[in-house]
Amino acid sequence: MDKGIHVELKASVLGHVLGLPITNSLVMTWVVMVILIAFAFFFGRSLKEIPGKFQAGFEMAITGAFDYIAMTLESEKLAKRFFPLIATIFLFVLVSNELEFFPGVGSIGFFQGGELIPLLRAPTADLNLTLALAFISFFTIEITGIAMLGFFKYAGKYVNLKSPVGFAVGIIELISNLGRLISFSFRLFGNIFAGEVMILVASFFLPYLLPVPLMAFEMFVGLIQAIVFAMLTLFFIKLAIAEPHGSH
Amino acid sequence: MQALFAAFGLNGSLILAQAVNFGVVLIALTYFLYKPITKVLEARQQKVAKGIEDANLAAEKLATADGIASEKLTVAETEAEGIVVSARETASAEKARIIKEAEARAVLVASDADARAKEATAKMQRESEKDIARIAILAAEKILRQA
Repeated sequence: MDKGIHVELKASVLGHVLGLPITNSLVMTWVVMVILIAFAFFFGRSLKEIPGKFQAGFEMAITGAFDYIAMTLESEKLAKRFFPLIATIFLFVLVSNELEFFPGVGSIGFFQGGELIPLLRAPTADLNLTLALAFISFFTIEITGIAMLGFFKYAGKYVNLKSPVGFAVGIIELISNLGRLISFSFRLFGNIFAGEVMILVASFFLPYLLPVPLMAFEMFVGLIQAIVFAMLTLFFIKLAIAEPHGSH
Repeated sequence: MQALFAAFGLNGSLILAQAVNFGVVLIALTYFLYKPITKVLEARQQKVAKGIEDANLAAEKLATADGIASEKLTVAETEAEGIVVSARETASAEKARIIKEAEARAVLVASDADARAKEATAKMQRESEKDIARIAILAAEKILRQA
């Protein structure tokens, strides 16, 4: 029953609970949550004043990220406020992306109508999750802008009636801001999904050696995409809290 | 639009569920990971700052202690020198006194010995004079008896 390559654009529904479709990527999201929370819980409890190698490395990464955020936002206070969100976006997306390559993900499942329904699917290869993250990022950015500048000043960035050029620029800003929802979600989804498809195709032609370098590359892509998502959120927050042009 | 949503399997409740999932991870990581790490880092930073301050203080104290020590050493050296000088003076005075005394005693002893010798000589002379007189008397008696 070799039917060739079977590519599923959307996550498969395994069942329903209280009207909520339980998809394989949702199940995988729970796995990611358990991994992250368990790591945080046990690592956070085992912190020592004199760090071991792992703790020292982790601390260095945290400090480096924090310093970078503080440098970008030009404020320690803002960095303290946004560090958890940006770090969590990075860790969440990173673990979601990298788990894709663990054996069993996408290959363990059950047959339904002659088709394999995988039990696990990389959460970031499902547009639902990437869109959810994009919404979180989007609302954080917009709410921060309104909170820092005030509603009218922030709205003035987009609705500018001082000059025709200003008005046009404002509208373009508004559209590009809304477009972030799409760019955020589709960038991540597209990268990870495309990686999966590429490995699938490679495995179809040459299952033994060809997928290895591709997997290595896709792991790198997964890391890059996690960094990109977190960094773009950071930069857009910085843009949102910047004073509107021409006001100073 | 509906077809697009269906093609990607988009579902409002799923998006909400995933957003909630992320929120849970965010809260859990904040309380279990970021806060403890920040606390540890801040505590260590404070400790390091205190350590450096203490070290500076200790160095300062050491410098003052060094100053005090060398001052005390100088004072002690001068004092010791004074003590040696005065001891030497006392010693030479004592020496002079002892020599003088010894000389006086020597003179005394010498004159005493001289007097005693003279007396002995005089006594011997007197005794020999007595003996000579007796011998002379005996000789005279003997001559007289023979005659």
